[in-house]
Amino acid sequence: MRFMIIVKASKDSEAGVMPDEKLLAAMGKFNEELVKAGVMLAGEGLHPSSKGARVRFSGAKRTVIDGPFAETKELVAGFWIWQVKSKEEAIEWVKRCPNPMREDSEIEIRQVFEAEDFGAEFTPELREQEERLRAQIAAKKKR
Amino acid sequence: MRIMMIVKATKDSEAGVMPSEKLMSEMQKYHEELQKAGVLLDASGLKPSSKGWRVKYSGAKRTVVDGPFAEANELIAGYTIIQVKSREEAMEWARRFPNPSIDGKEAEIEVRQFFELEDFAPGEAVERFREMETGKKK
Repeated sequence: MRFMIIVKASKDSEAGVMPDEKLLAAMGKFNEELVKAGVMLAGEGLHPSSKGARVRFSGAKRTVIDGPFAETKELVAGFWIWQVKSKEEAIEWVKRCPNPMREDSEIEIRQVFEAEDFGAEFTPELREQEERLRAQIAAKKKR
Repeated sequence: MRIMMIVKATKDSEAGVMPSEKLMSEMQKYHEELQKAGVLLDASGLKPSSKGWRVKYSGAKRTVVDGPFAEANELIAGYTIIQVKSREEAMEWARRFPNPSIDGKEAEIEVRQFFELEDFAPGEAVERFREMETGKKK
């Protein structure tokens, strides 16, 4: 099963304060352990929301709103995607995660949907297309 | 540059209502277009926050809080990661994103740029990140 580990934004991360060498080193060490254990599928940081935008949908209507966005603690500053055997394994790894900010902070752990979770609405044709897409993405990443 | 299009949760997605075949099919068509244009890197959906949890950090102290979480509109329901040449190209793709809401009414996606290693001041830690990533991307 896959989990997304979401690092919530802080005042510093939204202000564009970059992590210091100490935090980068702690995160690097943690990441190396994840890679060695074969758990890490992805890990990235996001620029502050001032460089981002939102698209609001209302039926067929779309409205674009430029960042920054106010609700700092609900924004995303970064994330990992992990492949683990159980929720317990994910919990064990999370316990070892360094505090990702210099201030008080929060991470959120969420399970990723797999194809079998979608049931009959995910028809054999759609499943086939999905598998083809995933194979093409994987091939592109290897190149 | 790499861009994450974050699909915000709705009351339906948090309640565990699954997308209809029509929405699944629209999403698949859009992602096929991304793939054909050579910009698609990854895409996934997240289970409702009732199956998730949070860890709060205060200095060295950690507190675990189980989901579900209340602020549905600020939660994440899914994401699509693309590699594009400019912010304008990213916004073009974002505008074409199908309305992701399960009832076809209100929804929101948030478009955010990834940090690349070049954005960090050079140092030993950044170099080790670079070594880890060699061969992982592109």
